[in-house]
Amino acid sequence: MPDRPILDGLRRLLRSFALRTSLVMAAAALLLSLIGAGWGWLRAETALRQELDLVLAGEAEGLIRDYQLIGPQALIDAARASVRRDALLLVLVQTADGQTLAGRMDAAPAALLGYATLRAAGQPPLRALGAVLPGGINLVIAAPLSSADAAARTLAWTPLVAALGSGTVALLLGFVAARALERRLASVSNVAGLLTAGDLSRRLPQSGRGDEFDRLVMTVNAMLTKLETLVAAQRQVTDDIAHDLRGPLQRLRQGLEEALAARHEDPVLDQAITELDAVLQTFAALLRIARAEAGAGTRQSLDMSALVASVAEAYRPVAEEAGRSFAIDIVPDLMMNGDPALLGRMVANLLDNAMTHGAGAIRVALAAGPVLIVADEGPGVPVAKRDAVLDRFVRLDRSRATPGTGLGLALVKAAAQAHGGSMVLGPARPDGPAQPDGRGLAVTVDFHRAG
Amino acid sequence: MRILVIEDDVATADYIARGLAQEGQTAEVARTGKDGLFLALSETFDVIVTDRMLPAPDGLAIVRALRASSVMTPVLVLTALDDVERRVEGLDAGADDYLAKPFAFSELYARVRALSRRPAAPGTASTELAVGTLRMDLLRRVVTRSGSAVDLLPTEWRLLEYMMRHPGQVLTRTMLLERVWDFAFDPSTNVVDVHVSRLRRKVEGPDGPALIRTVRGAGYILDA
Repeated sequence: MPDRPILDGLRRLLRSFALRTSLVMAAAALLLSLIGAGWGWLRAETALRQELDLVLAGEAEGLIRDYQLIGPQALIDAARASVRRDALLLVLVQTADGQTLAGRMDAAPAALLGYATLRAAGQPPLRALGAVLPGGINLVIAAPLSSADAAARTLAWTPLVAALGSGTVALLLGFVAARALERRLASVSNVAGLLTAGDLSRRLPQSGRGDEFDRLVMTVNAMLTKLETLVAAQRQVTDDIAHDLRGPLQRLRQGLEEALAARHEDPVLDQAITELDAVLQTFAALLRIARAEAGAGTRQSLDMSALVASVAEAYRPVAEEAGRSFAIDIVPDLMMNGDPALLGRMVANLLDNAMTHGAGAIRVALAAGPVLIVADEGPGVPVAKRDAVLDRFVRLDRSRATPGTGLGLALVKAAAQAHGGSMVLGPARPDGPAQPDGRGLAVTVDFHRAG
Repeated sequence: MRILVIEDDVATADYIARGLAQEGQTAEVARTGKDGLFLALSETFDVIVTDRMLPAPDGLAIVRALRASSVMTPVLVLTALDDVERRVEGLDAGADDYLAKPFAFSELYARVRALSRRPAAPGTASTELAVGTLRMDLLRRVVTRSGSAVDLLPTEWRLLEYMMRHPGQVLTRTMLLERVWDFAFDPSTNVVDVHVSRLRRKVEGPDGPALIRTVRGAGYILDA
């Protein structure tokens, strides 16, 4: 489907912060203009009506004066003149009981007193002023409201049109800003990905414009420099410990061994050497974890399928001798960049874990990604403990009697993360019985994002 | 065997020299890289054991200098840093083996024995290995015990081949993992023991004489 990327791009753009902001701004501009237009229309209408009322009052006053000077004939002349089509002012003269003497005005009530707006079907609304004159004559004069209406509408439309225009411009600008922002952030997130994968020498790119993004990038870069220094220092400390402590430990072991050789048999010395070797093993495992976490070690292109297969095959007889079935399901030729020794140890640790703490059939699977799964049918790890057992020296209560340093899974986690991968513990058979055999343990190491 | 030990730590140097003497070997000790290189270039040794971290020249510089002067004496490098990066670096420089401190003397001695260039199985053609009643034909890929064929899986074949190339020598589990499996790590599960016991069942048969011996706390020996 050739149009998919475009659609996806559009969808991503619609989720963009800049475009959302400009959409909100355009909507706000429209809403404000609508309120402004409504209020302006109301204000304009009121003002124009009040002005019309004053005009009507002036006209009425003039007519009444004519009536007092000349008599009813003045009113009747005025009323007749107003019936003409182009007359601006309508005049209606009625008797006290509502009989029209002269003029015409639809919808005019009998004996109107004061101001009123008259609305007759099919005609523009009229603003009317009625007065009762001495001598039993009712006078109504009126003028069409339409001119006031038109003026108010014009006044109201102006901001509305402006709002529509500025809304469109805001949207367009938002679109452009969203694209620019996305391009800029894409380069940042590329570098961030490399950083996560362990390349701490990378820095976020600056545009050179010195804007708020550049300031943020500068702050983050300064933070990264500090992080890189800390990691380098940690690596140095690890190396120093390795060098400075191994000398004395070597001499201690030598002394014990020579003392044992001199006496031939000594259970106490024998035990001391065994304990010392366990300490050394823990020490070495801690150093390896620290080194993996610091991103030390080589990186080379390697055949993960062959690596997993060779380690798994080495364990097959061990599982079979223990009466446990052993299945290997590996997609061939999966290449990745990594440290072969660290990855080999990682696979071995997972299999050691399945052999020592698990039970039943063991399954080793490697799928595209690469995604490694080592599963067994043992009691598994309770959901609440799944994060904790990945920490150093954390062991489940039931495992305390079995040998081990409590560092195996911590190394697996460090190795996975050193390669930009992730590690998840889960049940091997999610639909299996919760008790008594448990659902087994499946450890998934996903190298999808590994470089 | 005449072995040169280059080690600046007095206690460790003495420990290695005493251990070698107890095994009936002759050890020459140099306390600096300079003395060690001079001895290595001017005298003949079967194996050289050198610490990696020495005041200049260090262990790797010594190996490079020896190889540049066409001295091909096998070299075992001792180090406090057991990470594989350094290990590969050491092997690239021309070292033959690599051992991380702290080590057991038995591990060091097994490696020194394996490095010494004794003919693996005297009197046999190079395409055939022979140890006791065992024959391994490398060209036809056939193993026989007293004339009857023994059927081996690929890993068992590699394991037996390595043992037959070093008859009568102690081979530690770590050595076997490195040489047979190419693993730079020790599994906590008894992987090597299980493979060796399977191989043993195949080559010794149900009632044949014992051929592969277990050395407690050290490793295995294929009796010559």
